Parts: sequence; C-alpha cells; structure tokens
Amino acid sequence: MRRVVITGTGAVSPLGLTAEASFDGFKSARCGVDTIRSFDASSFPCSVAGSVPAFKTTEFVPKSYRKSAKIMARDIELAVVAADNAVRDARLATRGILEASGGQPPDDTWHVPDPSRVGCNIGAGLICADLNELTEAMVRAANSDNTLSLAKWGKSDNPEESSGMDALAPLWLLKYLPNMLSCHVSIIHDTRGPSNTITCQQASAGLALSEACRTIERGQADIALVGGGESLVHPMGLMRWTLLNLLNRKSNGDPSKACRPYDKNCEGTVVSEGAGVLVIEELEHARRRGAHIYAEIKGLASCASGLPLGKADPFGEPLKQVALRAMADARVLPEDISLLMPPANALPHLDLSDAMGIHALFHCVPAITTPRGAIGDPGAASQALDLVFAAQMLDRQVLCPTLNSDQPLDSLPVVGHAADPYDLDNILILARALAGQHSAILLGRYREAR
Amino acid sequence: MRHRVVITGMGWVTPLGHDIETAWRHLLAGKSGVAPIRNFDARSFPTTFAAEVKDYRIPPDMITSEKHKNISRATYFVLDAARQAWMQAGLPEPESVSHKPLNPYEIGIYLGSGEGSLDFTAFTRTAIGNWSRESGNLNMVGWGRDALAAFDAQREIEQEPALPINHLSMEFNACGPALNCLTACAASTQALGEATEIIRRGDAKIMISGGTHSMIHPFGVTGFNRLTALSTLNDQPQRACRPFDATRSGFVIGEGAGVLILENLGHALGRQAPILAEVVGYGSSADAYRVTDQHPEGRGAVMAINEALKDAGLTPADIDYINAHGTGTKENDSTETHAIKVAFGEHAANVPISSIKSMMGHLIAAAGAVEAITCVLTIRDQIIPPTANYSVPDPDCDLDYVPNKPRAARVQAVMSNSFGFGGQNDTLIIKRYTP
Repeated sequence: MRRVVITGTGAVSPLGLTAEASFDGFKSARCGVDTIRSFDASSFPCSVAGSVPAFKTTEFVPKSYRKSAKIMARDIELAVVAADNAVRDARLATRGILEASGGQPPDDTWHVPDPSRVGCNIGAGLICADLNELTEAMVRAANSDNTLSLAKWGKSDNPEESSGMDALAPLWLLKYLPNMLSCHVSIIHDTRGPSNTITCQQASAGLALSEACRTIERGQADIALVGGGESLVHPMGLMRWTLLNLLNRKSNGDPSKACRPYDKNCEGTVVSEGAGVLVIEELEHARRRGAHIYAEIKGLASCASGLPLGKADPFGEPLKQVALRAMADARVLPEDISLLMPPANALPHLDLSDAMGIHALFHCVPAITTPRGAIGDPGAASQALDLVFAAQMLDRQVLCPTLNSDQPLDSLPVVGHAADPYDLDNILILARALAGQHSAILLGRYREAR
Repeated sequence: MRHRVVITGMGWVTPLGHDIETAWRHLLAGKSGVAPIRNFDARSFPTTFAAEVKDYRIPPDMITSEKHKNISRATYFVLDAARQAWMQAGLPEPESVSHKPLNPYEIGIYLGSGEGSLDFTAFTRTAIGNWSRESGNLNMVGWGRDALAAFDAQREIEQEPALPINHLSMEFNACGPALNCLTACAASTQALGEATEIIRRGDAKIMISGGTHSMIHPFGVTGFNRLTALSTLNDQPQRACRPFDATRSGFVIGEGAGVLILENLGHALGRQAPILAEVVGYGSSADAYRVTDQHPEGRGAVMAINEALKDAGLTPADIDYINAHGTGTKENDSTETHAIKVAFGEHAANVPISSIKSMMGHLIAAAGAVEAITCVLTIRDQIIPPTANYSVPDPDCDLDYVPNKPRAARVQAVMSNSFGFGGQNDTLIIKRYTP
C-alpha cells in the first residue's frame, strides 16, 4: 500500500503569518486573542477574538495574479497565504513559485511537480459578505422604512442612474463561493488533480486531509494541498455565534484569558480566523526528491453524532467511536498514543462530553494539548491549524502547552508547560463540528519501516 | 479489494415534480419547469423567471418534528428526497431507530449541499438602517445592537452548508462518515463519487448521497445576473434554456434536491434490496485555469472524463448515453462538446447526449444528483430524455443532442458530467447491474 507523509506546513493564525511563527507562539504560550479591532464590536456582549496580524495578499501571489486578489473574500486570502507558505516549505516549484523566481526553481533542492498529479482539498465555511460593499449598493434602492425595495433593486426609477444591483462588481458572487479557496490555490499553483471543498465547520480540514490522502493511496495523485480556512472575525460571524450563546461574555477586560478549553471555569469560546495548509505526499515520491518529512499519516476516520446542532452525547460516544476507528485504521493501540489533541470546542457541555469519551478510551489518558486557548475557534481552519501544529511537534519532538486550562476538567492531563525535548510517537487529532460531524487523524513520527 | 457499489433507492424534489415518477414523466414529455419567479418579487431584475419547486407541501410531520422545525427550504427538500430513497431501498422505518440489523456507524452521508439564504428582512433593515451617508460606512455599534435583536439564532445557523447532513443524520440515525462538499455546480456529482469511494474502501455499507440547493432568492439571482450567466429571455421563460442551440443565451436557475442510496453490493444482496444500477466510474479534476472561465480546450473536463472511464474499465464505445452538464451558456456547451470529442474520439459522433437542464433548470449544487437519478431511469426504461428547446444548430456544437423528443435506445452504461465555477470537473459512470 502507498504510504502518505506530510512534507510541508503552512499557516496564518492569530499567532503569526507563517507556520513557524504560529508554532513559536503556541510553544511559548503566547495568546493571539485580543479586543476586536477590524470593526467596532463594542455593542456585542463578547468583543474579543483571535485576529490575524495585518498582511497584504498581493505579496503572496505571483504578479500576473495580483488583480485576482480583488475578488477574494478574507477567507480566501487566508487560504492563499497559507498555501504559499506550505508550498515553499515543501520546496515545490509550482507555477506560482516559478513565476516569482523568474521561471527557474530557486535552487536544485526544489522539485517541479507534474500538475496533473497534484490535488487540492481545502475546507471552507459559510463566507460572510462584506457588509459595507453590499449596503452601499442597497441604500440606492431603499424604502423609507429602511427595507430594500426589490422594485428598485434591479432597475433604477431614474434611467440616468444605475440600479442598486448594478453597483455591485460583476464578479461579486465569486468572492463568496466556498470552493474559491481551493480554486484560487489550484490556479496559482497549477494543481489539476482531484480538487474538493469540504464544508463541515470545525471538522472540515481533517475530512479534507482524509479524502485527499485516500486519493493518493489509490494512486490518483502523488501530492495534495490540504487544510482549511475561515474568518469568523466578521460582524455576521460574531452576531451568529453570539445569538447561539457560544461566546464568553465575561472576559472583555482580559482577552487572553477568554478562551478556556477543558477548564473548570470555561465560560464559552471566542471567534477567530486563520488558515492551515499541509502538503501531503506519497512516501516514495517524497523520498525520491529528498523532501523533508514531518510525519506520516497513519490513521483516518470520521463519523456523525446524529444529534442536534451544538448538543453533546453525555458519554462522549461519537468521539470515542471516531478515535477507535482511527486507531484501528492505523493499527495502533490506545497505549501507543503519546499525545491527544481533542476537539476543544471550549464550551462547557461539549468539553465535558469529550472528557467522558476520553476516559472511556484510555486506561491511562495520554498528555493532552490544544492551541484553542491561544487562538480561539477559527471554524474550518481549526483542525487545519491543529494538524500543522501536530506535524511540527512530531518533527521537532517538542510538546506545546495549552493556555488557560488552569484547573483541568475531570482531571484531564492537560499540558500546562512546554517540554523540549519530548518523546512523541503518535498524535491523535480529533475534531467536532457544532453540526455533529467528527474527524480523527492519527499522525505518527516518520520511520522508514512501518 | 474494492467493494462494488450499487444504487438501491432514489428520491427527489424538483421543479418538475416532487416524486420520481412524476418528474420523470415530465422530462420524457419535454415539459418545462420554468416560470416567473414566485419566491420573491423579481420584476425589476434582468431575469424574472426560474425553475422553482412549485406547490410543494412539506411533509406535515416534519414541520412539527422537534428535530426539523424551522429549517431551510433546501433542507426540507433533501429530507423529503432522502425519505423517498430510503423507502425505495426497503430500509427500515426511520422511527425504529435501532434499525436492526443495521449498524448506525456503517451508514454514512455525503451531500453536495449549498448554503441557505439570508434572512432578507433582518439583513436589509439592519444594514440600511445603520448606513451613515457622511462616512460612507455602516455604523457598526448601531448595526450590532439592531442585528442582535433582529436575527434569529436558528435561522442563521441553518444557513450553514453542514446543516442538511446534520438533519439527515438525525432523521436516519446515520452515524457513519458524514461530509458535505460545496464545489458549486459540480458539488453533488462529486459527493456521489466520493461516497462511492467510501463504500468501495469498506468505510461504510450504505451512503445517503446527493445534494440540495436553492439560490432563487434576491441575492442569489443578483449574483448570477451580475455575472451575466442567466438567460434574460423574460418573454419566453419556458424557451429560455437552450443547451447546444446556436441561440442559447445563458442558464436558468432552478432549485431542488436529489438523493440516492448507495450500497455495498454484498450488503444489498444480503438484505434482498432492489438493485437499480451500479456506480462503476468516477473522475475528478481541476482546470487550474481561471476563476471566471473554463479552460478553452476543456482540459479539466477531458481529464475527469478519462479518469472516470479508466476507473470503470470502460472505453468510449461502451458509453450509450451522456447526460451533459449542458447549462445553456455559450461557453459551457461548446467547451463540453469539445471535451467529449477529445475524450471520445471517433465515438463522439455516435453517442447520444442530452441536457435535462433545458427543462429542469440548473439546480446548482443539487444538479448532479438529479442528473444521476435521470441516468438510472434512462437505464431502467431504456429511453433517453431529450434536450428541449433545440432548434438552431451551432457549428461549435455538432454532436447528437437528442433534440426535443425522447429516444428509445439500448442503454447499458451512462456518463454524467458536472462542471463548476472555478474549474471543478466531475464525471460519474453508472451501469446496468449485472451479477
């Protein structure tokens, strides 16, 4: 059977604009959660979030593609930047990289891939429309009671004036199609193999990685760019999560303490944004080109809870099932797991359900860590960033700490301090979408013999 | 060893009918599901018509069910379609939740479902009411205050594209692999293909697969009108979608859902399920060309078609019918024709091709699912539905499009193509089941 390994990591997160910077933040227990500054959120009961530091998308795309940055919603920009980071880290001289380096690979350690053998599978969320852009168009067709007049929206009363609808850019819709994360990345890097967009909230990236990994195992591709990206730091995202009662309303004065996964004093999560992209590759292909191997993908599984949105199984059954299936797929026993990265939705009832499932799974629960306390919940990017961090930890044999789990729930062994070096063999990464989809990925330290 | 995958049940809710037989009869009769838009007042829009699901009655028990009340239009469509498929497959009543001898973790779901629609009143009112003409920006403090009072939590979350699969998993106690993909107009073909792979690999015995979507709402039609992708023949809506015709001028937006029960062959035989057809081939590719246009030579489409043939172990001569993506836009139909010629070579001229979008409209994310169902019915009844509204030949589209009248034919293996905005291409091959 064809084995699949991770040969590149890319990330943009509240902790930094690269996988390396983000990882350093995670390792040194920095917090990326702060007061929202991209818009005035003061009328919201929770006004803190994990925001990505300022960046310019045009600096991460080839010159010939800069115009296209205008039709990228923020979610797309984040994915494009993370993909650039991942492709460079894997030393893949894709179309975009070749153009930026004058047509030739930067040096002979770079590999020029066959475009038809490269896939792209990047998870996405429900992309929010730019409110200012849309409202500016809508006010041209407003009724006196502030509703939108559909009679005026499509055609203006005054033939001299363009209508409300016409004030929107012709390509307006394309900014908001979830598959545009994968599409822009596939165009920039010329990936013509199997391409997909999974939209399963927090489980998206693991499901995307699983699917792409299977296409490589079957022989339909040799390489794939996988992950997820989303920005929930948007008035619509914040409004939705506020109405669903998911957010911590008590920590506006102390943002870095707001998101407290698996902590007895957890009061809810915070929204976030980011993207994570990994380069996954067939082992022999990676070895032939001398690629750096971060980790091996050993086990994959997914399942659904069959429960209403946001509800948890009191015994953590779906979490237990998905974890067991991933371990069986990897032919690994619970005692072989050196680190667990659980869903960490940072919601008291979901975290408690996780604790029940974890205790049922392990006689002796392995070390647990999660970056959620440091970055919040970036939706479809969340498991992508977990996977990037897991790959980095395996590669460097370092254990990163969880922020704000000061009094761990149900005596879970949550890691409070970084450990360097630390023996890591297998990391089990679990995710739960609020809508009930679960994804489990088992990454192992790469060894020649399996 | 990979497991064989068969289709044991089907259901749909479409502009041409809310059950399999009604809509199939209408497709064979060349009937159009297109009419002036009723979902909202579209009279000022460049396009005033669409293929809506008409006179639809949500099953009353769903409206009162704790699990499914106040959900989106598209989610009701897909629940209904899935119930039809589940029943046809002879699976136990969803209420008998333990459904012995089925293991819930062996029943998965893979849909290509679209997002729900915005809460139009709440959205427009809070935005317009807080617009500051002086600054040319929204007053965010006012917007936040008003929005938290105006929007409804459930209505908002039901717009997430992961929600239809969540409702299906509750309805059928399906706890196996659960995924939704949203690759624009290719989504549900891709969902069916990937669901097939999940069963082939042994990760599920049954997959509930297909898609659902409704973009017939003010901002959906706005988006496609701004792209100038829709036909604007407002005075003859039923003639507006003309795939492969020289006078074609855009697609007609539709809505609806289609669901198929895909099943491990051994499992289906073991429970003596009706076997309607077999999924034998799946191919997927990306154009990697432009966000707005297909590759002019249909590079990605050719690759998807070739991959599907290879996967099925078939050659072009084995394909008896192609259910085309056939949107009725200038670009798609000539590119698709070109791609079929490249992939099929000399056989391109012999294979009948038709587009049901000429009657059904374009169901966007759900299009591939209703087209796959059509392929199965074509095999069942040995008759090919026509491409309606075809009258003026286009030199760029010079293949056999089964114009205007259905055609009796020997149909063993069929191909269904779907191509999405952004360059995603997916092809499925479905075959008559032989032991």
